[in-house]
Amino acid sequence: MGVEISRRKFLQGTVAMSVVGATAATNLLSNEQTPSVKPGVVSFHPTKTKDVESHDVATLCEMCVNKCAALARVENGVITKLNPNPLFPKSKNMLCPRGNAGIQSVYDPDRLKYPMIRIGEKGEGKFKRVTWDEAYEAILNGTDKFPGLQKILDEEEDNRSSMLFCAGEGMAEHTFKQFYQGFGSSNWLNHASICLQTVASGYGVTIGAYPQADLDNAEYIIMAGANRAEAIVTPDTMDLFKRTKGRGAKLICIDPRFTNTAAKADKWLAIKPGTDLAFVLALTYVTITEELENSAYIEANFNGYELYKNSVLENKYTPEWAEPITGIKAKDIYTIAREFAAAAPKAVYYPGRRSTFAKNDFQLRRAMAIFQSMHGAIDNKGGLIFGGKLPLREHDGLMPLYDRAQARAVYKSAEMKGKLGYDDCAVVSGGGSWISWRNRYLQDQVDYNIRGMFCYKHNPMMNMPNTAKTAEMLKKMELVVTIDTMPSDTVMYADVVLPECTYLERTDPVKTFGGVEPSFAVRNKVIDPMYETKPVIEILKGLTTKISKPLFEISKKYDEELQEFIEEDGEEAAYAEFDLTLPFIHTQEELNHHALAMYIGAAEKLHTDGIFYPKQEDYYKKLSANDYQYYPEKKKKYSVNGGKPKTPSGKVECIIGSFTAKGIDAFPIWRDEYEFKVPEGKFKLLTGRHAQFTQSGTANNSMLRDLMPENFIWINRRVAEQKGIAFADMVEVSSSIGSTQLKAYPTEKIAPDQVFFIHGFGEESEELTWAYKNGGNDNKIIEDHIEPVYGAAAMHETNVEIRKV
Amino acid sequence: MARFGMALDYKNCINCKACESACKEENGIMMGADKHRIWVGVGEIEGQYPLLDLTSNVFHPSQCQQCDDAPCQDVCPTEATYTDENGIVRVDVEKCILCTYCMNACPYDARYVEENTMTVDKCNFCTDTRLDRGETTTACQATCPTKVRIFGDLDDPNSEISEVLRVREHYSLKTHLGTNPKLFYLT
Repeated sequence: MGVEISRRKFLQGTVAMSVVGATAATNLLSNEQTPSVKPGVVSFHPTKTKDVESHDVATLCEMCVNKCAALARVENGVITKLNPNPLFPKSKNMLCPRGNAGIQSVYDPDRLKYPMIRIGEKGEGKFKRVTWDEAYEAILNGTDKFPGLQKILDEEEDNRSSMLFCAGEGMAEHTFKQFYQGFGSSNWLNHASICLQTVASGYGVTIGAYPQADLDNAEYIIMAGANRAEAIVTPDTMDLFKRTKGRGAKLICIDPRFTNTAAKADKWLAIKPGTDLAFVLALTYVTITEELENSAYIEANFNGYELYKNSVLENKYTPEWAEPITGIKAKDIYTIAREFAAAAPKAVYYPGRRSTFAKNDFQLRRAMAIFQSMHGAIDNKGGLIFGGKLPLREHDGLMPLYDRAQARAVYKSAEMKGKLGYDDCAVVSGGGSWISWRNRYLQDQVDYNIRGMFCYKHNPMMNMPNTAKTAEMLKKMELVVTIDTMPSDTVMYADVVLPECTYLERTDPVKTFGGVEPSFAVRNKVIDPMYETKPVIEILKGLTTKISKPLFEISKKYDEELQEFIEEDGEEAAYAEFDLTLPFIHTQEELNHHALAMYIGAAEKLHTDGIFYPKQEDYYKKLSANDYQYYPEKKKKYSVNGGKPKTPSGKVECIIGSFTAKGIDAFPIWRDEYEFKVPEGKFKLLTGRHAQFTQSGTANNSMLRDLMPENFIWINRRVAEQKGIAFADMVEVSSSIGSTQLKAYPTEKIAPDQVFFIHGFGEESEELTWAYKNGGNDNKIIEDHIEPVYGAAAMHETNVEIRKV
Repeated sequence: MARFGMALDYKNCINCKACESACKEENGIMMGADKHRIWVGVGEIEGQYPLLDLTSNVFHPSQCQQCDDAPCQDVCPTEATYTDENGIVRVDVEKCILCTYCMNACPYDARYVEENTMTVDKCNFCTDTRLDRGETTTACQATCPTKVRIFGDLDDPNSEISEVLRVREHYSLKTHLGTNPKLFYLT
């Protein structure tokens, strides 16, 4: 699809590029009330109470991306316990350790409490407390330390793209995005390119959507490069592990590490990192040669199957070929292909939900989607499912001020003849490519000035490879405005800090959750915001009230079209189109009522219960203290598309011809450069997640730190012995870009040529009592390898050395 | 009057520690690895990479076994440890003198020193924090993602726990010591 070039010709910006194929269909981007003194030693907010009147407020967790339903118990205005809200089909009556620890994010003595402006050097972390109005004033007019928007936009002749907008995942991300759209910048970056861009898009272009897996009914599950016992996803984690170990679902775990998922599997196969594509191609080969596929389904529902099939056969992707590449025995590959086919269509090659690890990740996801589809196991019970989704009414938001606001943050040389080109990825999705944007900005490869950024609920210092470069970027930005709850490493580089309240102190936009059992859920405010914090919608209301008119004056000065508009229709009519305050006039509660208008009683029900779906009162039943029915079996949305893929053509797309022109393989093939290689004496660095810690966002949570005080580096026990490294010895891990230090955990759970540690530790903000210099920071040493299709950060492509210190 | 017990479908356990954090939050337990009422025992992995024994790395959730004949109660010199009318072994904060005899006597290592209250404390099935409010689940049961725990009245033949113990094989820990635990592991 093409996007028109902006009508506002004088604005420096980008020319929209065409997007190859479809993108994923699912919404992936989809006062001193408490002690203000930092506890010296170990302590956390005490919550034990008795004999006090209490009430529950239905809310949604925000300790990770899952948004599980919680009931917050409030006593004397204090949240004393978070319990699972059994009404939500997605989270099925549970709260994980992070969900329980959410209380500590509210009562964290380190949290941002009031607006601040920088008085020290950039990055030094010296701020002064100001009023909200003073903070907004500083954003508009600057201080002696930094310029304001007025100066920047005047000097840049109203080029609104001179500001970058970036946001982390969250229910109010869209609220912030409306500010970006109204503002009129073309520079938008979100978490996608450091998150699940390639998996979501790989499935999106192949079967038309990023699917869910029906782990409640699948009889055979291949879980490769996903770790649901530790990286919890609801409802997958709960559905799966009640049925493993000979209780209905056979689980094959493919992972270089022995994870908790491996411990619950029927079979664990240690694969060489980055070679999963060879494994899937070999499974495909066996499926074709032994005629295990569902040929009627393929005939009716595939595009380009013969070409792909011939490629697999001609390239001889046999299990014997795959064995030395993957490290998985050929006989295991034969067995798995046969067992999968025997269980199909109640069989799942689990799509996973994670960052890009290897540069071939997009092709891997395509091969997985095709393999799954060859068995007709999509949009069916026990297979991959699209699920149902209840529609919400859209709000009349601000139209992007400029057409170019829909353009992307990345553009390519082909569209920019004679200019510095950006060839680092083939397709640019809505969320942009973070590391390629950052690197180009640092190399002055953007042909206009970008002078500042607004950063919402996002921590670029901790969340993407090559921390040193991110620090350089933040230093180069003349005006950095952060909206956050915690004094993160990124906040330390801010010029203006706007404190948001935590998730338990605000109502967020109502959200529709698709799946087998679709529902609406809302995050209701549990207690009033503490200190001087506010929800982002109120922050933006205040900010836009301050800046809207002055920015309009700048546009009047430089925008000839606007001058004509004013001449013809008058200034009032012209300003109406430039009024940035419009999306933030209504309260979140009013907006939620509006969104739910077509469901009678829904808004009220969501306010009291947190969850609503039509016929809930008939369908919902308590089956036992642990288990609930949300929908009767016959009403579950296992199949919503007649078993067919959701691509525009209605077919599984094996071949995407338009890729070839961009230098991307049109269908998954193996290339020699994908092979796993580690130079002698070095180790491949792997990172990952686990259940007691999300990312840097939970690093300062005292309860979680109690469960996991710091991260350790996994190193093979025998290798550690040779190197004289014992448990808890401090080691330095270094790559070509930097080094970090953390303690050693010698174990047989990892291969001799690999090391692993959990992401999110090792923050350097001195304002974080518990997270400060606690453990090692992976992004200080992960090199910025850019995945070629979407410009995602490839996080397992770095070799490191280890030294005992 | 009831006789409370707990059945653990331990094969569901993924060692996520939701139960541990829910217990700490609900019961206001001090931070620190040695301060806990419940825990997950983890079997040490056996074998050499990549030939590891999948059955070795087992997760075994545990806590006070709520013995009908509790050794910790027998040795308590001040009767601080007592069994209440619902069969729950509890600690009287006023009477405990921190002599720690109970810590040595407990064959399940279920007792710890709680510095908030200066008692040798233990799991009490959330009696004071949840059951007294009319709740019918413990914090660990309610929060568990994979629903390991079933809590209920063993004397009520219609309770879920009685039902599950009738139809599923189960075992208890160190039964040869004659402690008569009221925790049951489902196989």
